[in-house]
Amino acid sequence: MKTRLNFKNLNFQRGQPIFIFIMVVIICFFTGENFLSLHQEDLIIPSSGLSQQLRLSHYLPTLANTPGNTRVFLFEGEEKGGNVLILGGTHPNEPAGFIAATILIENLIIKKGRLFIIPQANLSGFTHNDAFEANPQRFSLPAQDGLRWFRYGSRLTNPIHQWPDPTTYINPSSQKLAGPESRNLNRAYPGSKEGSLTERVAWAIMQLLKTENIHLAIDLHEASPEYPVINAIVFHERAAELAAMTMMDLQMEGFDLRLEASPPNLHGLSHREWGDLTSTLAILLETANASHGRLKGKPSPQLIVKGQDANYVRAARLGRLFVPFDEEGIPLKRRVARHLASIKSLITNLAALYPSQTIKFEYFPSPQLLLKNGFKDFLQIASSSK
Amino acid sequence: MKVIYQLILLWLTLNLTVYLFREKRLSWQLSAGMVLILFILRLLLIK
Repeated sequence: MKTRLNFKNLNFQRGQPIFIFIMVVIICFFTGENFLSLHQEDLIIPSSGLSQQLRLSHYLPTLANTPGNTRVFLFEGEEKGGNVLILGGTHPNEPAGFIAATILIENLIIKKGRLFIIPQANLSGFTHNDAFEANPQRFSLPAQDGLRWFRYGSRLTNPIHQWPDPTTYINPSSQKLAGPESRNLNRAYPGSKEGSLTERVAWAIMQLLKTENIHLAIDLHEASPEYPVINAIVFHERAAELAAMTMMDLQMEGFDLRLEASPPNLHGLSHREWGDLTSTLAILLETANASHGRLKGKPSPQLIVKGQDANYVRAARLGRLFVPFDEEGIPLKRRVARHLASIKSLITNLAALYPSQTIKFEYFPSPQLLLKNGFKDFLQIASSSK
Repeated sequence: MKVIYQLILLWLTLNLTVYLFREKRLSWQLSAGMVLILFILRLLLIK
């Protein structure tokens, strides 16, 4: 095998290779510009109730100036009460969590207690998408001042930011996983202070849970309609009662919901490590996203937002899915409304179980209004930014 | 690690560029050019 570059017989006389090389440079410029646009943060316009905007480096200084230094929004009431953390965007290709967190940030006003919201937990995952899935880079939602675009990222940290993947990944809780899972934030808990970017993000989130004395932590996710753990609350055993009460509330509001206990031997996941290693009540919420599944047709922004897919209608008729799926599909507004209703119910029931951990809202975005009117009323105008 | 990543990509990019200028067939030049786009973008840490 030749290991040395051979510069002999180079042909600079004919215009053909020079022309192709110039074309390569031009294409690199335009595609590079397009890819780099994915590194710009999504617009989030906090409500007047926002108390403080931090970065995750507040809890782990070595994250400063890294692609993992994501935003942390703090809403604090005048009275002391409960402390709750809401995490969206752990997997950036599961948009209902990120959008639910964004709607909370843009509308929430709190009277009592503290609410921490991280809308894009794996910020690096938002800077690229899964090319072989043919996923779109972005999707748009109607806002009060026109269309608002949001990035549709990848489940995993960008390999530009964390390379190479090991053959077998042994995560910080000693679970053996496939190599690429080293870039999956929800396999990296409890994280490592000196570890990879993903592990450091996980470690900083654990620090937030401990230092802020978080009573309840909610991780927002989505899964494909053929996945068994769907429309579900996955709960740590200490949060079983809270999850059961929330399930009953959601059933009464018209959201079918099932309970899934966090498997004790499945380590590295938020609902296991948060609950085992901190005093928080750990909850993970799942909705059904057709754009996430293996049976989907052509991926598109419409599929993400409208959630309609003929293949899934057929699969539902054949009894292959774990959720009902008809021609109406499962639109993003319904998935986000489900997350919002679950969050509201979890926080209300936390107060019922532990009165000293009460959070009172002056305004909480209504899931029923979102279902009825769509996103427009909940995505604010840029000039109203605090 | 980033430096090692970029050194590997630099090596492959240089090889492809040399190949592009040595090859006489248009189809092979175009093929080299298409792959070169991917390597240049990764070399600049753009993904």
